[in-house]
Amino acid sequence: MKITFASLGAILRFPPWGMILLITLISSIGFLTLYSAAGGDLYPWAAKQMIRYSAGFVIMVGLVYVPPRFWLDNAYLFYGISFVLLCVVEVIGFIGMGAQRWIDLYVFQLQPSELMKLALILTLARYFHMSEPEDILKIRNLITPLTMVMAPVLLVMKQPDLGTAIILLISAGVIFFLSGVRIWKFLIVLALISASVPILWSFLHDYQKNRVLIFLDPERDMLGKGYHIAQSKIALGSGGLWGKGFMQGTQSYLNFLPEKQTDSIFSMISEEFGFMGGLGLLSLYGLVLLYGLKVTLEQTTAFGRLVAQGLTMVFFFYLFINIAMVMGLLPVVGIPLPLISYGGTAMLTLLISFGILFSLDRHAQQKLPKQAMGYF
Amino acid sequence: MDKLYSQFLRRLLFLGALQIVLLLVLISRMAYLQVVQEEHYKVLSEGNRTAVEPSLPPRGRITDRNGVELATNRTSFRATFHKDGKTKLKDILPELEHVITFSEEEKTELLEKDQRTRGIQPLLIKDSLSWEEVSALELHSQKLPRITVELALQRFYPEKEISAHVLGYVAAPSQREVGADESLAIPGLMYGKVGIEKMWDDHLRGEMGYKYLEVNARRQVVRELEHSPGIPGENMSLALDQRLQNFAQKRLQEFESASLVVVNIETGEILALVSNPSYDPNLFPDGISHLNWRNLMDNPYVPLTNKAVSGTYPPGSPMKTLVILAGLESGVITKDTTFFCPGYHYVGNHKFHCWKKGGHGTINAVGSIRESCDVFLYETAKRLGIDRISQIYKQFGFGEKVLGNFPHEKPGLIPDKDWKKESKGENWTVSDTIMTSIGQGFVLTTPIQLAQMMARLASHGKEIDLSLVKGNPQNGFQEMGLNPKNVDIILEAMTEVTNDPRGTAYAYRILEASYAMGGKTGTSQVRRITDQQRLSGQTKTHHLPWKYREHGTFVGFAPSDHPKYAVAVVIEHSAGAAPAAQVARDILQFAQKEKI
Repeated sequence: MKITFASLGAILRFPPWGMILLITLISSIGFLTLYSAAGGDLYPWAAKQMIRYSAGFVIMVGLVYVPPRFWLDNAYLFYGISFVLLCVVEVIGFIGMGAQRWIDLYVFQLQPSELMKLALILTLARYFHMSEPEDILKIRNLITPLTMVMAPVLLVMKQPDLGTAIILLISAGVIFFLSGVRIWKFLIVLALISASVPILWSFLHDYQKNRVLIFLDPERDMLGKGYHIAQSKIALGSGGLWGKGFMQGTQSYLNFLPEKQTDSIFSMISEEFGFMGGLGLLSLYGLVLLYGLKVTLEQTTAFGRLVAQGLTMVFFFYLFINIAMVMGLLPVVGIPLPLISYGGTAMLTLLISFGILFSLDRHAQQKLPKQAMGYF
Repeated sequence: MDKLYSQFLRRLLFLGALQIVLLLVLISRMAYLQVVQEEHYKVLSEGNRTAVEPSLPPRGRITDRNGVELATNRTSFRATFHKDGKTKLKDILPELEHVITFSEEEKTELLEKDQRTRGIQPLLIKDSLSWEEVSALELHSQKLPRITVELALQRFYPEKEISAHVLGYVAAPSQREVGADESLAIPGLMYGKVGIEKMWDDHLRGEMGYKYLEVNARRQVVRELEHSPGIPGENMSLALDQRLQNFAQKRLQEFESASLVVVNIETGEILALVSNPSYDPNLFPDGISHLNWRNLMDNPYVPLTNKAVSGTYPPGSPMKTLVILAGLESGVITKDTTFFCPGYHYVGNHKFHCWKKGGHGTINAVGSIRESCDVFLYETAKRLGIDRISQIYKQFGFGEKVLGNFPHEKPGLIPDKDWKKESKGENWTVSDTIMTSIGQGFVLTTPIQLAQMMARLASHGKEIDLSLVKGNPQNGFQEMGLNPKNVDIILEAMTEVTNDPRGTAYAYRILEASYAMGGKTGTSQVRRITDQQRLSGQTKTHHLPWKYREHGTFVGFAPSDHPKYAVAVVIEHSAGAAPAAQVARDILQFAQKEKI
């Protein structure tokens, strides 16, 4: 294609700049908070996070030009790669005699469970896209997608990374739900899980039972997670309506807030910017969710709808679980606040998700074949 | 619109509604925590970030009557371990040992202390760090984040062993003391253990101040928010004169074990109070080493004991002055009464000896004091009875503490009928009266009581109260209700003890007439001399092993015409009163010449 000013203009107009601005704005709140968390220093967090964002930004904008067809065709491939990486992590973790979530790529540490969140959405969307509506109603046709969900979930749980396992289950649930799986089937699964809990419970060792109890009731463990949640509530609550001001959060500044740069970052924002600050951030998130809804509604294919809403809902549950957690509404699990928490793979995954969403937005009217060019 | 799509839309709508509901839950929870409960969490967050640390005010200085510093403070560096509830001392001790040297005992003691103290109470690791240790700690501060070097004031006794018994010393309060008084559980706090330091600890310690510190979650201090320094301890001026103390201490060092008290008769001020051997109180504020402690404890002459106030001895002959006085007061004898002393006296079958084997012949009251005739006393005592004897003893302050609550002061013992019945289950006998009248038998007194007696006599019968503090507030002392003429007879007799050739201490008189002293010698038997020894002429005890020799006592006053100073000297097992009289002479001479 001959590059002209006209085609250059078209390319520049192509990405949804408003959304990109919004995402950059939210991420910038993250940079500022990380700067504040370091006591007014770009190091050790803010600078690195900005570099990651910049790298992810390029990928995100680049993905606008990759048509949805590409994701449909290669969904199973991505799933396969992610799964293999998860197994690799498992093996390394086994050798390392402990929990292992990362693969050290020397440039950065890759967390395959993050990639799996994306791959699972794509792969399930592809599966249901390919299925006839009446097939979805048949139980035997749910065995394959359920296996695709449970295999990585079990691996991630073994790491153990309960937060990611929950997100995987939720994103799968959303796609099952939106693709028309009968409600009673969900209810049966729920009932089965509830029924199996007491049986599973009796098989657990005391220390395992204790772990679960602490997970459900952090107050039992005041030096660990209980302390974490108590301090996080103090930080948040003491912020008041308008907050203590930027860089004035004594809880985080004095290191009472554990993991302030990752899971507890919302407490820190709330301490420094108060209720109004938290409300402002939620509003920005709300705009992102609205955009996700808009993209979903504009899709003309099942794959597009499922991927768009799957990604949106994952985004929502990230922020919901994280914030509910630091407010003491949900047990503490390691789930970052999207675009804000310090963390490389999470940021990259989110920006890739937005890239895919943008691509769906720009190619909403593009027809996708029932027969993919897949290799699986 | 096909059926499948409308189902999708319905389910999408459901998810949207779910998001809105969940977001509203978050917002209302946020509002609850940040608006409704704001104050609650503000208080918690404030509590989180601040810590209160006691700030030790400087301990009051103690000086002698002329402003010579006896106890003061000097700055020292100390290492403190700041607990955070997680770090254990035993984990960082190996690292700490590279920097500070500990003995095995110190280590076990520290670890025990770490176990005992709960919470985040800072723990004193070591006091008086050397410069090498301070700089090494600063160098390793990265590796030892919970150890800080702090500047502190340390108690210091510049005069070392001189006046040690009066001053006492300070040290960290023991577990037991902290148990009794929670406010002592402050690291670095020094607590008076004995002597003035203990007696006036409340005043010397001052009022604790507080530092409000901003701390982080690891209880590391970020900055100081507020500092109230407290109120420094009161400075104290003692009545002691350090020159006299020094002179007396040196003089007493010639003996194994001795003590003395010098009093200003006009004010009741204690000008000197010395016990020998002494010790260096500077050994204690740091925590005394095991070796030093053993040395002090194993010394047979008990250097830690303040013998001037807690040494109880049979006083011997000085008590005769009071018995004669009681005799004159009650009229059982007069100035002119004479008795014949053949050298012994029978009570029933029991033969009581006079110290002078050949006897004093016919002798009167003055002579009986001058020459310390026992037989005259036996006769007087028999006429007086024990009630009147113990009464006058008690009137002069015997049998009770002189200084009230001075640590370890002993009241001694003045026996009477009731006492003997209660403690021995036996009836009082005439023999007991006779022994009591010459300051033997059951009578036990302390050197400071003897000094007080001397002061009361020499003041012509004023109820002088002794005080260790300068400027004793008494404006004039009460009369004891004695006939001044009778007291004059006693003082005249005591002047003859040293200034009449017949006197028992004539050899030790002060030659300059204007400095002349009066007094009374005393020797008290530690072991009864058997009749057999007496027959073979062994009434002297200097040939016996030290601990069986007689104690030597001298009470005196000077100048003899207008007494200003009173002194009491007790030298243990000196085998006679001569050394005590010599010491008293030198002391009184020194005090008068130096115009103390």
